[in-house]
Amino acid sequence: MVAEAPEYALPQRQVVRRRRPRGQRAAAESPRKRPLDEAFPGEAEGRGGEEGAALKIDAPATAAGTGAEALPEYRSQAIKGQKFEYLDHTADVQCHAWGADLPEAFANVGLAMYNYMTPIKGITVDESLSRSFEAEGHDLQSLLFNFMDELLFVFHTEFFVARRLRVTKLDRESWTIEAKAEGGKFSRDLHECGTEVKAITYSAMQILESPTEAEVFVIVDI
Amino acid sequence: MAARTFEEEKGYISKETNEKYWVNEGFVPNMKVPGVFYVNDGLRSLLDEELQNYCDRGNVGGFLPAVKQLANVAALPGIVGKSIALPDVHSGYGFAIGNVAAMDMSDPEAVVSPGGVGFDINCGVRLIRTNLTEDQVRPVQEELAQALFDHIPVGVGSQGIIPTTAKDLEEALEMGMDWSVREGYSWVEDKEHCEEYGRMLNADPSKVSKRAKKRGLPQMGTLGAGNHYAEIQVVEEIFDTAAASRMGINRVGQICIMIHSGSRGLGHQVATDALTSMEKAMSRDGIKTNDRQLACARISSEEGQNYLAAMACAANYAWVNRCSMTFLARQAFAKVFKKNPDELDMHLVYDVSHNIAKIEEHLVDGEIKQLLVHRKGSTRAFPPHHPLIPVDYQFTGQPVLIGGTMGTCSYVLTGTKQGMTETFGSTCHGAGRARSRSNARNKLDYEQVLHSLKSKGISIRVASPKLVMEEAPESYKDVTQVVDTCHAAGISKKCVKLRPLAVVKG
Repeated sequence: MVAEAPEYALPQRQVVRRRRPRGQRAAAESPRKRPLDEAFPGEAEGRGGEEGAALKIDAPATAAGTGAEALPEYRSQAIKGQKFEYLDHTADVQCHAWGADLPEAFANVGLAMYNYMTPIKGITVDESLSRSFEAEGHDLQSLLFNFMDELLFVFHTEFFVARRLRVTKLDRESWTIEAKAEGGKFSRDLHECGTEVKAITYSAMQILESPTEAEVFVIVDI
Repeated sequence: MAARTFEEEKGYISKETNEKYWVNEGFVPNMKVPGVFYVNDGLRSLLDEELQNYCDRGNVGGFLPAVKQLANVAALPGIVGKSIALPDVHSGYGFAIGNVAAMDMSDPEAVVSPGGVGFDINCGVRLIRTNLTEDQVRPVQEELAQALFDHIPVGVGSQGIIPTTAKDLEEALEMGMDWSVREGYSWVEDKEHCEEYGRMLNADPSKVSKRAKKRGLPQMGTLGAGNHYAEIQVVEEIFDTAAASRMGINRVGQICIMIHSGSRGLGHQVATDALTSMEKAMSRDGIKTNDRQLACARISSEEGQNYLAAMACAANYAWVNRCSMTFLARQAFAKVFKKNPDELDMHLVYDVSHNIAKIEEHLVDGEIKQLLVHRKGSTRAFPPHHPLIPVDYQFTGQPVLIGGTMGTCSYVLTGTKQGMTETFGSTCHGAGRARSRSNARNKLDYEQVLHSLKSKGISIRVASPKLVMEEAPESYKDVTQVVDTCHAAGISKKCVKLRPLAVVKG
């Protein structure tokens, strides 16, 4: 399907955003978190620390060069330790997530979606609710779409929010995906409310892979 | 294809009047009809900016600007007349939000596109009047805002408080507002003042997937999050006394309640399911579109028919949803004022849908044709004497409810004959976003937004503080400019202006 679409219709991002040369990264370091810190005074510190811890379990093998210091500019919206950020889109929200490989990036984009609905740092893991997800598709994009649709469906029907998400199997022959999640049940009385995600879209969806890294862009409908 | 420069792109756009521009064929390939957009100078610059950014980027990154989307819609099979963008237009999924497109039902190639309806099927607005005045409400304003917030479930993960079983849901999907009336949540007269009388007759619950129903069940009677809200508003200005008095709005200072909500998870899932099934149908039937997001199916195909039946169910669900919240709002008012809703004259003024596709009859080149009109982020605005509008509004034209943004004003417009001929009887739906959500969150300050609302005397109850920034008036276009453009272009007429006293949001 994608191949059929004319070039002008679905602009593919060749170079996602300009990466700064290595020397300038340190300079970019200080304003990196600023906007969000300002928006949530006093909140940012707790967030960064805790989430960093939560996500390390998720991805013990930290992706090459994505330690806090080496964060390239185009991932500058991510809170410390998070491997996802939210990018500009007029009506909706674009989730951008990355990881050492595709399974990790898929898992992180799932967390990004949950985190938009409620900060996942506030979710306490309830072992009894640990669950697995399965989805299938007919190409990589539909696989990601269906996987995220499944995650969203579980939130809307069972109010389950994953704190940790691990993709255990990603089969590119049969286009199936399996994931394990630990998390808890969202309750409006206990947890901070974010914004409800209505649906997943194919809009400007991108899945980029390199031997050492993978990243995905998904626009969710708000 | 080499990307064109901004100047080259602009060459395809021609101006007819100060509010009306044409997008000529050739702007994107395969355009079957021209595009037209209604904007004034101020709003035009926003569209230009979007297009300029797109051109500067070349083929990398981001999303399509609204003008491109409008033109891609003009390339869909079966489209007649023109692809129309209203003043509140902004980039959306496939179709721009604020886009109207009509497909010829008699053309076997004509398509229906879920992208032309949107994910929130039958998202809409209703207005309830009261006989209270601002002086009576001011002293209890906070209490009233709290009562509304307590009664209406809002925000992420909220669950309906009106008990519903799976059987109720099936019936509600089929019967729409008739279900609410039967169950006692709605008044019989409410039905008369609702688009389609609150029930799409082609609804077939068996075409709605189990997944969708499962999402819909716990959410029935909930407001949702995002841009949805319930507001207590006060009449600030009456432009058309005769029309306003037909609506029971007869003085400045009168209190009204506006509810903006949609079909919740059920509608979103119906749209998602349809997109998946239509992708397959497109390759089977060899339908070519300019944009993958414009997934569609022939109206006559199984997928097309299934979608229309499921969409009708979602529309019915949305009406039931708004009825349930009307019931709750009436209860909240009754408790605070210790009078029953009847005594407070809490009648429905009207209920409009701004995300829907409907089969309607229109004159095309002097011939009556049956069209499937997609309205995404656009409100139906039928003129006086149209057979499909209620008796009460036969002389005024259909009331059109335009929800503003948190803290700004809202409007009631009426449909006009010119709108019927020019835009398939459609007009704008709201302010339309100008600033992206993450931009709003980063640039605006939560305290500041709250403070400015407070200084305007507006009580606010919001479940999520982040939302305050995302939904701040600064994130939107100026609703007054949008409405004035529609008025100046003659596609609808200003009737009443309302300003908020209290806002309840997810």
